[in-house]
Amino acid sequence: MSSAENHVGGWVLFFESFKRFLSSKLNRFSFVLILLLFALALAAPWISPFPFDQVNPANGLKGPSWEHLMGTDNAGRDIFSRVLYGARTSLSIAMIAVIFGLITGVFIGAVSGYVGGMVDEVIMRIVEIFMSIPGIVMALALVSVLGPSLPFIILALSIRRITQFARVTRGAVLSVKTQDYVTACHAIGMSNMRIVFGHVLPNCIGPIIVLATVLIGNVILTESTLSFLGMGIQEPTPSWGTMIAQGNEFLTFAPWLSIFPGLFLFLTMIAFNLLGDGMRDHLDPRGGSVV
Amino acid sequence: MLTTVLLRRLFLSIPTILGVATLAFVLGHLSPGDPAIAAMGLDLEGHSSVEPGELERVRTELGLDKPIIVQYFQWLGKALQGDLGRSFVSTSEVSDLVFDALPTTMLLLLMTMSSAAVIGIALGIISAVYRGRAGDYIARMIAIIGVSTPTFWFAIILILLFAFLIPILPVTGSIDEHGFSAMILPTAAIALHPAALIARMMRSSMLEVLSQDMVRTATAKGLSRWRVFMVHALRNAINPVITVIGFQFANLMGGAVAVEFIFSLPGLGSLLIEGIYEKDILVMQGAVLVIGVAFALSNLVVDLLYMVIDPRIRI
Repeated sequence: MSSAENHVGGWVLFFESFKRFLSSKLNRFSFVLILLLFALALAAPWISPFPFDQVNPANGLKGPSWEHLMGTDNAGRDIFSRVLYGARTSLSIAMIAVIFGLITGVFIGAVSGYVGGMVDEVIMRIVEIFMSIPGIVMALALVSVLGPSLPFIILALSIRRITQFARVTRGAVLSVKTQDYVTACHAIGMSNMRIVFGHVLPNCIGPIIVLATVLIGNVILTESTLSFLGMGIQEPTPSWGTMIAQGNEFLTFAPWLSIFPGLFLFLTMIAFNLLGDGMRDHLDPRGGSVV
Repeated sequence: MLTTVLLRRLFLSIPTILGVATLAFVLGHLSPGDPAIAAMGLDLEGHSSVEPGELERVRTELGLDKPIIVQYFQWLGKALQGDLGRSFVSTSEVSDLVFDALPTTMLLLLMTMSSAAVIGIALGIISAVYRGRAGDYIARMIAIIGVSTPTFWFAIILILLFAFLIPILPVTGSIDEHGFSAMILPTAAIALHPAALIARMMRSSMLEVLSQDMVRTATAKGLSRWRVFMVHALRNAINPVITVIGFQFANLMGGAVAVEFIFSLPGLGSLLIEGIYEKDILVMQGAVLVIGVAFALSNLVVDLLYMVIDPRIRI
């Protein structure tokens, strides 16, 4: 009976906390912006005025008009529709990469922080090595040797996230594991597995959620940079990075090709950065910058 | 005492650098298919057009007939001596290509770092001093826009603005072609993000210091506001900001890759991307190695500098 009660209590606490989070104007703004982005991405097939791959060379490089809100590209494809589908691509890839990074990184970080000693030393050394290579360089190198297929792109995007999650989780675990209630768990003979997953990690959730929010924005940025350089999402799948790169060729006489997808990327980054800031103030007020 | 600490830190960076080298080696060997074919710059479709004897010769030349662990130590030994192999596309030594590219990137990063530091610190101070007033909101707005603007897109917007609409700066090309002005737009493109990060860091660090007793004491004894902010508060607030500036290298290098490519600056980033486009594995490997080692070294320098600046962390 008590466990069911705890469960309900947990949800109530969550909603209370969420309500407090939304009491800030800036937090409301970023939250609504992100909901809007997700809505646009989900609804892309129904709200796009044209299929994203509908080619019409006769109508190429047309400026913004009522028919084509953001103009058309060199093949006459509707930029607005492609931007909407691009949101779908970026958000879904970023979510998968961050969730993969989170699961793996939190596990590694928890082991490192909880076990400590030599294991911790070795894991943190390896993390430091991976952190020595800038994310985009690592991603570029990996995709170039493995090939730009979706699973490899996601892998390339998550490797750095794994190390970031591992670091933050380790730090949180180190501070939590010295608390009295953890000692109490040991005293009543609980298994290490149960202590880590049942008692230590749930109390480290704040910094992890903050990091996850910021990293979704980061992964979207890395993915678009990768696509911009031709090593990410490949045609005909629409991606903001690829669209900006294509627009770069027609910059002088058709700047809208690069401007509009870039604006969406920029808005997405603003939304996730603001949300991350708000989350940090809300959940992890003592923590510093996580990235 | 300080010397032992410095030596210990120096010693600790060796495994990291070795690790980076190992990572670069592994990256070069992850490629599916025959590394000899890849090293010859051929696609898999071109396989049949290579004479079998030729392939064998390249394999032996690259040491690919030996076990992987032997290959690794041979490669590492050569890399330590500055021999990174030969590019199969341009046939020049990879180490020569890297050393030709290094000055451009270093100049770019140095210019970026210094302009980002100056702008970021200034914005952060304005923000903290005018906390809650118009100056603070404007500075914070610039900062959030700065951290959210994609570097490569900003580079394109800068080109659009300054090279076509107000044509006063060169769009692409190296210093040799256009002189110093070739570096202005690339620097601005990369500097925006770190400047914004530094501004945010500076603001929070300054606000923390401004709430301390010693600031109240300084004000109480009748010092001017200017003196309190610029001398007493700033000196105490700047340390964490210096660390942030120092650790920006990886971010900057990441931004530099795309920006060098957009502006056709012949630096490490362009070399890396060319290596990737041409499937020139050894060039790619060399660029990754140098970037990683440079990062590890810059972290080392920041740590050492920090120990000298702030005696509290010499433990």
